[in-house]
Amino acid sequence: MFVLAWANLTHHKLRTLLSALAVGIGIMLLLVSRGLASGSLAEVNERMQNVDAELIILPAQDNIIFTNGAPFRASHERHLQRLSDERGPLAAAVIPVFFGQVQMGGQQQRLFGVDPEQMKLFLGPRRVLAGKLFDRAAAFAERVRAGVLPPANVGEPGHAEYLADGLELVIDERLQRVGGYGLGAEIQIMGQVFRIVGVVETGVAGRVFAPLPTLREIVVAGEPSASMYFIKLRPDLDPRRAADTFQQQFASDVRVELKTEYGHLLRESFASVNLYLTASSGVALAACFLFILLTVYTMVIEHTREIGILKALGVTRLGLVRLSVLEALLISGGGVAIGIVLAFAARGLITWLKPLLTVDLAASHLLLAVLIGLVGGTASALYPGYRAARLDPAFALSNE
Amino acid sequence: MNDDLMIDVQDLQHAYTHAGVVEPVLHGLDLQVRRGEFVVIMGPSGCGKTTLLNILGLMLSPTCAGSFRLAGQDVRGLSDAARTRLRREAIGFVFQRFNLLPTISVRQNVALPLRLRPPRRSAVDGQVDRLIGQVGLAECARKKPGQLSVGQQQRVAIARAVVGEPALLLADEPTGNLDSANAAGILELLSDFHRRLGQTVVMITHNEQLAVAADRILRMRDGRFVD
Repeated sequence: MFVLAWANLTHHKLRTLLSALAVGIGIMLLLVSRGLASGSLAEVNERMQNVDAELIILPAQDNIIFTNGAPFRASHERHLQRLSDERGPLAAAVIPVFFGQVQMGGQQQRLFGVDPEQMKLFLGPRRVLAGKLFDRAAAFAERVRAGVLPPANVGEPGHAEYLADGLELVIDERLQRVGGYGLGAEIQIMGQVFRIVGVVETGVAGRVFAPLPTLREIVVAGEPSASMYFIKLRPDLDPRRAADTFQQQFASDVRVELKTEYGHLLRESFASVNLYLTASSGVALAACFLFILLTVYTMVIEHTREIGILKALGVTRLGLVRLSVLEALLISGGGVAIGIVLAFAARGLITWLKPLLTVDLAASHLLLAVLIGLVGGTASALYPGYRAARLDPAFALSNE
Repeated sequence: MNDDLMIDVQDLQHAYTHAGVVEPVLHGLDLQVRRGEFVVIMGPSGCGKTTLLNILGLMLSPTCAGSFRLAGQDVRGLSDAARTRLRREAIGFVFQRFNLLPTISVRQNVALPLRLRPPRRSAVDGQVDRLIGQVGLAECARKKPGQLSVGQQQRVAIARAVVGEPALLLADEPTGNLDSANAAGILELLSDFHRRLGQTVVMITHNEQLAVAADRILRMRDGRFVD
């Protein structure tokens, strides 16, 4: 039967190739969209896990992927600081982060506003490859901490001079390489011109860091707001119990999570987008398998006489269904192989065009593609196979 | 019941229905063919010969039959699967239009009936090559049917029909598309296999000259055998 199925397919090479290509494109779409989503989320999570902290504090209702602005106010910060001062029961460090956006390296980057003093908590064992970690900005942050107020509002005379020392950026090596940024390169952010003062090894939480006081001054007029907090616990504390204790200190609009849960939260926040991507790819794939159904069905119609011959030779109804399934599986198998090759090619193209994106073609996804090919191929052959099996042999043989 | 009979049919009737109109084709035929007998059925076009052959080959169910036994087995009421199995194991077909599968080679066409019988698979290759040699097409084994002459194609069809050594060989106008030289060759081949394998052969033909090979000639007209 394999010989016959193969011969039938190779007899119509172009049609077979087009059918396999259609499946291949569908499989490629599925693999790349899922790979792009999971690769990017895994990479973001991996970088966040490198922050030297155990807990994260987030707005309860916020989507952690698309969150911006600074919902945490001064009261939250004061409360956290009370828990973390030297006599405080829980935290060794409260690490506020203020998110912004910046266009660098050909795409939108999340800007991490962090306290220059705490930069080493984000850096961990990673090295500074060039320049420094906020030199003048650290002095600016110190002045803000000491209560030195700006002489005027943003945009008014005197404010630019006040802010000048704080307009520094630190970026990671991958962004520096992709964007070709050198030390001293100027980047426009929210109407201010920042200068790159340092490049750190890739793997830190963000690709772009700015001084927290600077962002606060520009965005919320110096208010001690934050987008989220990392909490570094005292070494003797159990993180889970500490998280519960923190949670009890806040109302229900605040969510306290273990940092290790960040990946789960990311996937949770991305679920609707992921569903959309999977559904789109699924619809595309279903259309591809309809293409196979049409191909195999056309073969049944075209080969009615041959089906009659096979029946005359004693091929059973089940045998004819198996023949159709085999033909469809060969097409979908070829399609899966093409799809996997196309997916790797697409990954190469994507990472060439957008080097900051990560496409994760995991073995589990490739296995899923094979399974989809098997199931889809079988399903799309059942109706044509049923039609072939139902043909009356004498009628089929008389078919012109 | 006579065990010596390969075909035992009594009061066989068949009618086709087209758009609600019933057209009787066979009118109460009786036919007995002994094992190993070579029977030729002759008659004008449309008299029901091919319908009879399709019924004998279990590819068509008769509208009604008083008795219908093949190789001693009552085939009335057999399931589709049982009819298919009996066709596969006991019946070989040779058609006027050869009916070879065009996408596979001569060798694969001839081997097909054996491939459908997994227990005999180990013997397939030698048996097929020997048979292709016997029909004089050893050099064409790898060719596709479309690359052969019509005479060669019918030789392949005969090889395919006899490769499984079926007890009953049904031939529907096997020389109808051939010139006289090729027709004589095909008849010789059929007679030769009949002699050597002892198969029962029922052949339909218009050609009186070919009928000489038969043990018995039956003539049909309007769905009935005539004297």
